[in-house]
Amino acid sequence: MSVMESDRVPAAADEPKASKSARGGVRIRGNYVPYVLIAPAVVVLVGVLAYPLVDLFVLAFQNVNDYLHLSAPSLVKFIGFDGFTKVLSSAEFWQATERTVLFTLEVVTASIVLALLFGLLLQRVSNWAKVTVVTSLMFVWAIPQIVTGTVFRWLFANTGGVVDYLLYRITGNTGWRTHDWFADSNQGLYVVVALAVLWGALPFLVIGLNAALTQVPKELVEASKLDGANGWQTFRHVVLPVIKPFLVLCTALSFIWDFQVFGQIWALRQNSPEEGYRVLGIYLYQQGLGSSHYSTSAVISILMILLMLAVLIFYIRQVIKIGEQD
Amino acid sequence: MSLSIKPGRVQPGGLRRSREDDAVGRRRWATPIWNAVAVLFAVVMFFPIYWMIITPIKTGKDLLSVDPTFWPTGFDTASFRTVFTDPNFLPDMRNVAMITIGAVAMGLAVGFLGAVAVARFRFTGRNFFIAAMLVVQMVPLLSLVIPMFFILKNIGLYDQAFGVILAYLVFTIPYVVWTLRSFIVNIPKELDEAALVDGCTRWGAFIRIILPLTVPGLITTGVFCWIQAWNEFVIANILLSSNDQQTAMVWLTGFSSTPTHGADYGSQMAGALMVSMPVIILFVIFQRRVASGLTAGAVKG
Repeated sequence: MSVMESDRVPAAADEPKASKSARGGVRIRGNYVPYVLIAPAVVVLVGVLAYPLVDLFVLAFQNVNDYLHLSAPSLVKFIGFDGFTKVLSSAEFWQATERTVLFTLEVVTASIVLALLFGLLLQRVSNWAKVTVVTSLMFVWAIPQIVTGTVFRWLFANTGGVVDYLLYRITGNTGWRTHDWFADSNQGLYVVVALAVLWGALPFLVIGLNAALTQVPKELVEASKLDGANGWQTFRHVVLPVIKPFLVLCTALSFIWDFQVFGQIWALRQNSPEEGYRVLGIYLYQQGLGSSHYSTSAVISILMILLMLAVLIFYIRQVIKIGEQD
Repeated sequence: MSLSIKPGRVQPGGLRRSREDDAVGRRRWATPIWNAVAVLFAVVMFFPIYWMIITPIKTGKDLLSVDPTFWPTGFDTASFRTVFTDPNFLPDMRNVAMITIGAVAMGLAVGFLGAVAVARFRFTGRNFFIAAMLVVQMVPLLSLVIPMFFILKNIGLYDQAFGVILAYLVFTIPYVVWTLRSFIVNIPKELDEAALVDGCTRWGAFIRIILPLTVPGLITTGVFCWIQAWNEFVIANILLSSNDQQTAMVWLTGFSSTPTHGADYGSQMAGALMVSMPVIILFVIFQRRVASGLTAGAVKG
């Protein structure tokens, strides 16, 4: 607190001073006022973000791989790229990467396709139906990831789980009645976790895409209809170009979210995800905090950021581009 | 999923009369079909929440039956009692409330000043600062927790609420600066100038003009920060170790993986419902604002 207070007090004190010079003219350029205003934010972010990031890189080139190193600093030494070599040559890392990439591709595709379909649907329904959908989505949006994981574990439980029961009632196959969704981690990860993540992501995407769709000028849609375009052609050539920037943004954002999936898996697997659920987020967590391989975990973190970098840069450029258009 | 599982989402009959106003040459006969699809979608989406609400009030007999019932046959508060008698539940709820309030208040205070700076002043480094606020939001929290863990250990804030509050500023400050900026930019500069002409000091103009007009923005960003901080799990899980310091999310994962409650879904759902309650209530109160804030803040930039 003290750091912030000491920075905020001068900010308040400097304001009146700036105003004295301002009395004469209307447009004033306080040349140090903005710096005083951003100082607290800069100081805090350097402390809680830049410093840890630097620390992360330092850690990645060290050998802090058990608690002993942490408590005996003299044992800590720099090992160069040895940590990277070790991680990159481990099968576990590549399996985790493969899982993460597959999972991300699956969930991003499903999210965007479904969000677009339901966004379009919301344009065709009566007002009361739209209100119903949006209300339902707002509730879903509010649910924390950990709660989502906990609820989905119950929905997909093999005794008393409602999904098993419904599948049994629909198919008539008693095998479904006690089906264990988590026994096969492929099913657990690519079906249950994917559904949980998708469920949590849809509210933002559907409401957002629907808002973007309302930006499409009605005259253009009507004109294209008059010119004989069918539904798909109208969508492809009139609607899509208008919503494209937002659609691209949503795709990038979904990628960024899904690539780091953690909470849902953690809650679905009751704090101890098995090997088959080890996506990169889970893997780096278990390496770092589970088995005290701090440096290994830092290496995985850096590799994870590098894997996401292309999309991150693309996303940031896109946001800045949209910002400039306003 | 079929319509038969519809969790009692009552359509107010009065609204039905509102004309199908979105007539962009759309075939009217199709509207009822789309409405049905939309309602089905709403029902499927809402179902997990309905299930979370309905499970803890079921009686033990209902809970243990292999075939779940879609309506509770009786009303039982045993699951809620289990949660409330858990010695860590209430302290952890209090912890998360304190941490959230701390993170939101500090995030708003610090972020607001930054937002005023970028919205009202031109200065060297301004664009860099704005871009940094965007980039910073993209850094995966997971990759920061291990260094944060070391740093907080070194400065003696490990396992303390204040350490977590500081850590949460990583996502609250950039978000507040980024979102409030567009709110403040939209306040006409002429208003500040008029106040200055009328004899207000710079500080007075700020207090009387910018601050009141930014209140809606402060509320929207505050709600979003509140939700993020309240729902955050990874940082809290790593930076807080003792049971009486943890947050509600950490409590829930711990509670549902203990041998006693691991299969007690009634209590787990009661716990899940209780820890999401504050966020759900906020969403209900600020629904309209949150929905519009989404497109304003997250997209427009």
